[in-house]
Amino acid sequence: MSMLTVQDLQKSFGKFEAVKGVSFTVEKGESFGLLGPNGAGKSTMINMITGLYPPTSGEIHMKDIDVIKSPKQAQKWIGVVPQEIALYQSMSARENLRFWGRMYDLSGNSLEKSIDQVLEIIGLTERAKDKVETFSGGMKRRVNIGAAILHKPELLIMDEPTVGIDPQSRNHILETVKRLNSEGMTIIYTSHYMEEVEYLCERIGIVDYGQLIASGTLRELRESIGDHSRIFLTIEKDHLSEEKLTKSLLGFFPEKNFELQDHQVMVFHKEPQLILSDFIQLVTQTGTKITSVNIVEPNLESVFLHLTGRKLRD
Amino acid sequence: MKFWWLSWKDLLLIVRDKKALLTLILMPLLLIAILGSAFGDMMKEEETISIEKFTLGVVNLDQGPLSQVLTDDVLSKKLSKQIKVKYYQEDELYSRIKNHKLEVGIIIAKDFSQALMNGNGTKVKLISVPDTVIKSTIVQNVLEQFSRSIPIEAAVSQIAQPVQGGEQNSFVQEGYGENDLLKETTVDAKTIPVSSFQYYAAAMGVMFLLMTVVQGVSMMILEKEQEVFKRLLLTNLTYPNYLLGKLLGLIILCLMQASIIIVGTSLIFGVDWGESLSGIMLLTFAFVVNACGLGVLAGSFIKTEKAFNVAGMFGTQIMAALGGSMAPLYIFPDWVVFVTKILPNGLALQTYLKLMSGAAVSDILPAFAGSIVLGIAFFSIGLFRLSLERRGKYA
Ligand SMILES: Nc1ncnc2c1ncn2[C@@H]1O[C@H](COP(=O)(O)OP(=O)(O)OP(=O)(O)O)[C@@H](O)[C@H]1O
Ligand SMILES: [Mg+2]
Repeated sequence: MSMLTVQDLQKSFGKFEAVKGVSFTVEKGESFGLLGPNGAGKSTMINMITGLYPPTSGEIHMKDIDVIKSPKQAQKWIGVVPQEIALYQSMSARENLRFWGRMYDLSGNSLEKSIDQVLEIIGLTERAKDKVETFSGGMKRRVNIGAAILHKPELLIMDEPTVGIDPQSRNHILETVKRLNSEGMTIIYTSHYMEEVEYLCERIGIVDYGQLIASGTLRELRESIGDHSRIFLTIEKDHLSEEKLTKSLLGFFPEKNFELQDHQVMVFHKEPQLILSDFIQLVTQTGTKITSVNIVEPNLESVFLHLTGRKLRD
Repeated sequence: MKFWWLSWKDLLLIVRDKKALLTLILMPLLLIAILGSAFGDMMKEEETISIEKFTLGVVNLDQGPLSQVLTDDVLSKKLSKQIKVKYYQEDELYSRIKNHKLEVGIIIAKDFSQALMNGNGTKVKLISVPDTVIKSTIVQNVLEQFSRSIPIEAAVSQIAQPVQGGEQNSFVQEGYGENDLLKETTVDAKTIPVSSFQYYAAAMGVMFLLMTVVQGVSMMILEKEQEVFKRLLLTNLTYPNYLLGKLLGLIILCLMQASIIIVGTSLIFGVDWGESLSGIMLLTFAFVVNACGLGVLAGSFIKTEKAFNVAGMFGTQIMAALGGSMAPLYIFPDWVVFVTKILPNGLALQTYLKLMSGAAVSDILPAFAGSIVLGIAFFSIGLFRLSLERRGKYA
């Protein structure tokens, strides 16, 4: 049985349709990523899956529980890390965890044990007694995650858990999620950082304007756009050489699979290693000075670009 | 039990919020001290003025001779410095007092002389507008002295006989024999006059509790807009449990504040809250339940915390004024006095004053029951409204 099945999920706020009929399945033990730009509808989907908002139409099943009909039953098995920090600032990390644990019906020894474990996982054992308001953004995010895993949920749903924090905390969080997943917890992770989703998720859904425009493993998504890498050449360019450069590039790439912008030449190619030295020589011969060369393997950014003609983040 | 942990959390947050704590505890005591001492002097002046002279309405239905002695010799002549006697028909007297054209009046019963001579007590009905404690006490004392001395002066030979408890409480009667007459007499339990400090302690206390309720409810509304609320909805806590936890926290908070006001004023300023500790406790509890219920109901109609704060500020002031926290009630028209008893704070203030003037627990049970029932009714309606609203928004 799948851990989560979502069918034709749709949500309107008044006349505005935020989610336009989305279907996907998440298997047990899997980590599923939802990637999409700001306002794509990720949080709205999450809020319906967790039983917070009723969908306008569609169906959600967590294992054999109908989430729309009996949200409380499903919520026992779901841990939710909301996009915003949902903690009491004037209470300590431990007090917060204790409070949220109690709201999940934990008590006594098992509660305290669970709190100790969670503090260990989020790496805040030392700071447990300090008030949350004295924490850095990254530490708050970690407590925010901690409060969601106290009751050992089978399905952990995280809505952009790394927004606006330092790289160190971010790495810590990513490691934590990876570890929880490897211990058997099913994960749904939303983000607009493609590197995070690439690193964490076995399967990925790409969301744009309330629709799931593509989904599959990273490899599947890459292959869907023909698996082209990109070569980026940064150049020092003067006006005399521009025409000349374009002309030789056209000779070299008759399919016009290149773009010339101000200080950059970008080339799409399936096997960049094969042409790289010839390409560099060509550019140098036109009298253009090259300052850096960069090869980018096909990634989710290029998939998104290919599908929507837009960048994931501006 | 989860709702209890929610209440506990709310109290913890308040205790840690130094500003909130200060407004909650120090402000009421400070304000009572300032008002009490300022108005204390004013009230003293008022007392001497009112003792100097006031009008007493008299309806004399008596067919015997003794009422003449009371009205002419005692009230009109001996007490001419304090009292101006004016005669009325019975219904006229009632309407005058109702319209606050007159503050105190007496109706001398048909068998006044006879009852007095038979030792059956003083059959005089004393009516007054609320809060004319001093004037009615004077009249009452006069009547009592009169009934004590008349049987002897009039040389009525019959020995006073005990009479089973009076059927009408408002009659100054119930003679139990010459010597006990004074002690046994009560008129509307206004036996012990309430001092200005006592009045303001109760009035301000009641008003501050209203303000705390407004604050608490606006915090509840604010929380609904916060992320923690959504997270709470995602836990095993059900919505009715959530509201119950919130209400309980608010009630406990108000009870804490009330205790501090009552104990504080009695320790620091020596305010006497009456004989009945259990009465005070029951009344305080009932009032808090009533006010919190009303607060939740009001809150269920208002969407944003800002709007509620504004409405709450005005509401509290109006309620405090109508309930007698700003000025004694008799300066208001009739319907206001009636409304007063429906308002949680009005009822509570009147009942606190009753306790201060010596009422026992049993005397305040109707007010207690009424408050609790109203509070639960308010809360239930509010709960119903909020559940409907939530169902529209959340799953
Ligand atoms: N309660 C609401 N009422 C009206 N519109 C809403 C509401 N919640 C979300 N929206 C709209 O729905 C769209 C999707 O919002 P959502 O928060 O789901 O996006 P998101 O993918 O989570 O974006 P982000 O990456 O910025 O968090 C947005 O246009 C937003 O304005
Ligand atoms: Mg979002």
